[in-house]
This record gives sequence, structure tokens and C-alpha cells, in this order.
Amino acid sequence: MDKSPISRGFRSKRQEQTPKDRLPPGQYVTRDFPILSAGPTPQSKVENWNFALQFGGSLLGQWNWAEFEALPQTTIKTDIHCVTKWSKLDTTWQGVTFDDLLKAVSLAKPRAAYIMAHCDGGYTTNVPVADLVGGQGMIATRYQGLPILPAHGGPARLLVPHLYFWKSAKWVRRLRFMEKDERGFWESLGYHNYGDPWKEQRYDGD
Amino acid sequence: MTAIETAAGPGRRLEWRLAEVRDIVVETSRVKSLVLRITGWAGHLPGQHVDIRLTAEDGYQAQRSYSIASPPEDELLALTVEHVADGEVSPYLVGDLHAGDQFELRGPIGGYFVWTVATRGPLCLIAGGSGIVPLMAMLRHRARRKVRTPALLLYSSRSLEDVIYREELKVMARRDPDLRVINTLTRRQPEGWTGRRGRIDKALLAKACFPPEQTPKSFVCGPTPFVENVSRLLVELGHDPLTVKTERFGPSGG
Amino acid sequence: MIENGSDLVLDGNAAAGLLQEIFVLEITTAQIQCEKCHSVVAVGSLRLYAAPMGAVLRCNQCDSILMRAVHTPHSRWLEMAGARCLRFS
Repeated sequence: MDKSPISRGFRSKRQEQTPKDRLPPGQYVTRDFPILSAGPTPQSKVENWNFALQFGGSLLGQWNWAEFEALPQTTIKTDIHCVTKWSKLDTTWQGVTFDDLLKAVSLAKPRAAYIMAHCDGGYTTNVPVADLVGGQGMIATRYQGLPILPAHGGPARLLVPHLYFWKSAKWVRRLRFMEKDERGFWESLGYHNYGDPWKEQRYDGD
Repeated sequence: MTAIETAAGPGRRLEWRLAEVRDIVVETSRVKSLVLRITGWAGHLPGQHVDIRLTAEDGYQAQRSYSIASPPEDELLALTVEHVADGEVSPYLVGDLHAGDQFELRGPIGGYFVWTVATRGPLCLIAGGSGIVPLMAMLRHRARRKVRTPALLLYSSRSLEDVIYREELKVMARRDPDLRVINTLTRRQPEGWTGRRGRIDKALLAKACFPPEQTPKSFVCGPTPFVENVSRLLVELGHDPLTVKTERFGPSGG
Repeated sequence: MIENGSDLVLDGNAAAGLLQEIFVLEITTAQIQCEKCHSVVAVGSLRLYAAPMGAVLRCNQCDSILMRAVHTPHSRWLEMAGARCLRFS
């Protein structure tokens, strides 16, 4: 069929409620918080949790939960945009910014231009370091003031809200510096390598 | 039978076809069946589903999957749709759609969760909520072919008002001594209800189902937690996992 | 394809529409062997994750990923690194 027939009276309910100026193209606002996972929810206990910054074979820094909580905390309010078209406005997150992680390991400059986030359950995503510094990225441990639920990525998730939300990797455990960019889980299977919602970069080739 | 053979055969590419609504049947307060005429439809097997696609005037499209409720013996195809709160597609299908309306449809899809009268052994069907739909296609097919395969339907619903195809199942069971239908109501029961209450548990399965020695073919369909629990229990009761087929509908039941 | 943005674990039956765009033969009845634990089941019975973004089918025994598929406006992707083989009868 060349052109799909119109279904009389069908309208996207979600797009009716859209405040157009705040939304990237093709998105609709949701009040709930949909959950999408590539696998079963890891049930990671904070007693066993640790987080690392890595470059090559060496660990630049590693923190257990108490140590991580003792790092400088930042709270931000931001909008988030999922590639499946829902957006959630004015969400509040608290955690440790990427800038503060670098400071904690006495790195004046990042070791390389890219990072790969590695997570419990095996999920990965790649982000340019330039998109994490300057307050753009954090490791978040609280959502709306409460610990992030496992289903939403707790105990800790990467948060890079200016990119599509698949980049805000749930259950993050390690950020690995990479000199050359490598594609993560969705980026290696047809999704856009960068993922700017304002340019509607959903898929590879967009 | 030609329709069944071609539907099962390999090498048929899935194409979008035009479906026209011929009739709409109210099943419960939240559930309707859509009776469709589809251009170029070549038949299906009981248990299969279709994808439908709606296009708005501005070009916006939404796509969903629905199990086929009608048996292959019927000339027209029936889908049974439950209204999902805050859904985008089901409120349109259950609320706005009229006879004469059109949408795109492709199928039939899925050869795994399928049963026909050619399959030997007693038939054990276990449904949670709207999981009844593909199982109803199997029962309707069995009834149309007038076979004596022993069959059991164990059907879990929240309340009597939520039992889809209630009258049809009652009549089917009354007419057919080889078919047992057991309803269980999990949340609300009417005054004087003498039937089962509460969720399907191991005791009920042990009591009602055909024993493993009879090698029944089991089909379990409904919300994911329901399906995983029931299929696990069947295996614990000694059923060969290869004879227990599952179709998970997700939390809303489809 | 499934309800957009919902918390869903489905199965290979639900991925059939997407997969059947790629496979000529009926995929849900194909037997798939896990590369990691070697268990063999029908594709239709595998647990399916991530449905709105694509299909991630995992082994029911060990949870490792057997197949991943995505349909983008530009292309269709399929990865089966976690599966040892597929058998179509």
C-alpha cells in the first residue's frame, strides 16, 4: 500500500496536550514515568555497590556507597525526553556531577574524549565527555527527593538529560574513558550515536 | 483445508492490508469485538494475532497487536479489544470506531501459540483476563469442527462482569460433554456465587487439569506475572515444559 | 509492537511481527540455542524486553541475550551473537 488510509476520527490523544515551546519535535508530555528495560531489573544492594572511573586497565577512582554519598551533591530540575516519544517536564534529580567526579580523582582535564557507561545487567551507552562536563551530566541517586527505585535505575543511574533518555543509563557502575568512540547497546543496533532530541536524532541516519 | 495450510506455510511475506469494520459486538463494559472484512485475507490458525495500524489525518500513526478471536472457519475476522485506561489506541477502537471505518492490518502472525484439531491429546487452556481471546479462537475452532478432544478452560477474571464470552462459554459447555469450563473470580463475586474464588493456584491446577500422563497440550495466556506463575506451577506438577505454551500480554492484559 | 512506554515483559510471540519482517520462515516456532548455557526453546517462548525500542529476547534459563532486533525508518537490524543456532522445522 503506497499511502496508509486515514482511520476516521483517530487522533493522537497525547499530542493534544502538548505545550509546544518546551518540547523537542515529535514528543508528547506524560505525567507518569514509563519504564523501559532491556532486561530484568537488577536488585543491587547498596552494601555491595561500588562505582568506578576507569581509563584503560587502571581505575582512576572507586567509591563504595558511603564514600559516594560523601561526595559533593548537586540537585537539578530538568526535562527528560525518551526516544519512544514521551517527555517528562520538571523532574528533580540529586547526585554527583561528572565535574565533581573528576575533581574527586584530581583530574583537571578528562583523560579522553569519550566515555562508555557500564551497568549492572550488561547495558552500555557511549557519551562524549564534552556532553558530561559543565554540569551537563551526573550520577544520580535521588529522584524527586527519594532514592531511585530499582525499576527506574536505582541505586544510581547516569543522567544526561539534554540527550535522549536511553543515554541516561540505569544501574550504572562504571564510566570508562575511551580515546576513540565506540557504540553502546542501542547505538550499535540502529539508534543514533549522539541522540540530540532537538535535532530529532533518534536513529542512525537521522 | 486450504485456509489452514496457507496460513501455516513458510515464505508468505507480511503485508499491510485494508480492514473494514463490519460489526461491533459489546462483550463487557470495557471490551468489544470488532468484526472485520480484510482485503486479501488468506486465513489463520487459532491462537495467532494481527498487528493493526491507525493513521490520523496529520499522518501520525499508532500500531498495536491483537489476538484473533474468531476461528478460521468464520468468513469474517474478529478481534476482541479491551479498553486500557489512558491508552491511545484501545479507547479509539472500543469508543469511537463505527461500522464502515477502516484501518490497516497485517497477519496472521505467530505459529508458536497455535492449536488446531489436528493436534492430539487433551487440550488445557488457562486464561487470565483478556488472555481468553486467543484461547477462545481455539475453542470456537474445536466446536465448529465438532471434535471430541477432551478440553478444559480454566478462566480467571476479576468479577463476573469481566468474564468475556460468558454466555457463549456457558452454552458451549452445556452442549459439549467433553468440554469443562471453570471460572474463578478473583476480586468480586456476586451474591450467591457458588463457583471458585481467588487466583489460580497449585491446588486448583492439580485438581482440575488433565494429569501429565495424558500428555495434555497446555496454553496459558494473560498478564505476564499470571502466565509465568501458572506455567511454573504446571511444570512443578509434572507437565513437560515443551507441552506448556505461553503468551504473555503484559500487565494490562493486552 | 506493544503499548508505547509501558513496563512490559512480553515474549517472542509479541516480537513476531517485527521478526517476521526479516525472516522468511516462521520464526516463533524456530528452536533457538543459547550460546552460554546451551538450553534450547522455541523463539515464541523467550522473554521479550524493551519492546517499544526494539526486541531484546533473553534466555529463560540464564537471561543472556539471544536476539536483538530494531526496525528504524532507514533499516532493520538483527543481532544474534548470543545464539548458537536457530533451527526451523
